[in-house]
Amino acid sequence: MTTTALEHELKQMIIETLELEDVTPDDIDPEEPLFVEGLGLDSIDALELGLALQKRYGITLESEAESSRQHFANLKSLAALVESRRQK
Amino acid sequence: MLRRRLNLLGRAICDMLATLDPEADRIVLHASRHGDGERTLEMLYGLNEGEPLSPARFGLSVHNATAGVYSIASGNRRSQQAIAASGGEWAALIAEASGYLADGQPSLLLVFSDQPVPQRFAAYAPASLSAAVALRVGSQPTEGARRLVEAATPAGGTTLQPLDVIDWLMGSHQRIACPISRRGWQLESLRS
Repeated sequence: MTTTALEHELKQMIIETLELEDVTPDDIDPEEPLFVEGLGLDSIDALELGLALQKRYGITLESEAESSRQHFANLKSLAALVESRRQK
Repeated sequence: MLRRRLNLLGRAICDMLATLDPEADRIVLHASRHGDGERTLEMLYGLNEGEPLSPARFGLSVHNATAGVYSIASGNRRSQQAIAASGGEWAALIAEASGYLADGQPSLLLVFSDQPVPQRFAAYAPASLSAAVALRVGSQPTEGARRLVEAATPAGGTTLQPLDVIDWLMGSHQRIACPISRRGWQLESLRS
């Protein structure tokens, strides 16, 4: 499976925004969970990522938990969110 | 994973606490006069510019941030206290520790750390270097331990900082004093 350019961009954004010092883009599997398992991110990281999405792509996430949970499930779902909702 | 949120000093503190208490089952008291002033100030600059706040940075701007990250990362669920005492940090730390020991705690962890005051405020406080020291104190004599003896001392002299405590523990001088609190301390051998 190839990683799209957007997925790679998002990997870089996640690593930089969350200061994941020992993680390289190759370590992030697009289909592995980002939170708790997989990459092991937590709720503060989710807020930080939400802010980064807003700054870079102009995406404002609704506070409704279930849809955010789906968007943040893994890198693929995050890329799909950016693709469909980006303002810039 | 949580260590990434901490600066070098915070990581050093976590490493020391892990060495002093591998079971992560002791109360932690952390004293720091200024804490992470740089991070808080950056946040205020950002607010002034109308930028949205970084949640991670906001979470770490509180005085108990390092102890909090340590507790989550190590699974230590005992009480924690973050202390700032306007230059009397070491005296306050010892006073708090004495209280816990008198209350029946057999052993606890003390951390004294500080960082340079941000340039903008440097003129208003004595210069402080980035340093941290951690100690395990207890009510019962243990192998290799020394007894801490406190005495009243006159006021006057410079503010006690973490590096002074490190020098004293390493034996460079016999006594240290916290002038603002008018207390002094020395270490005595437990072998009578």
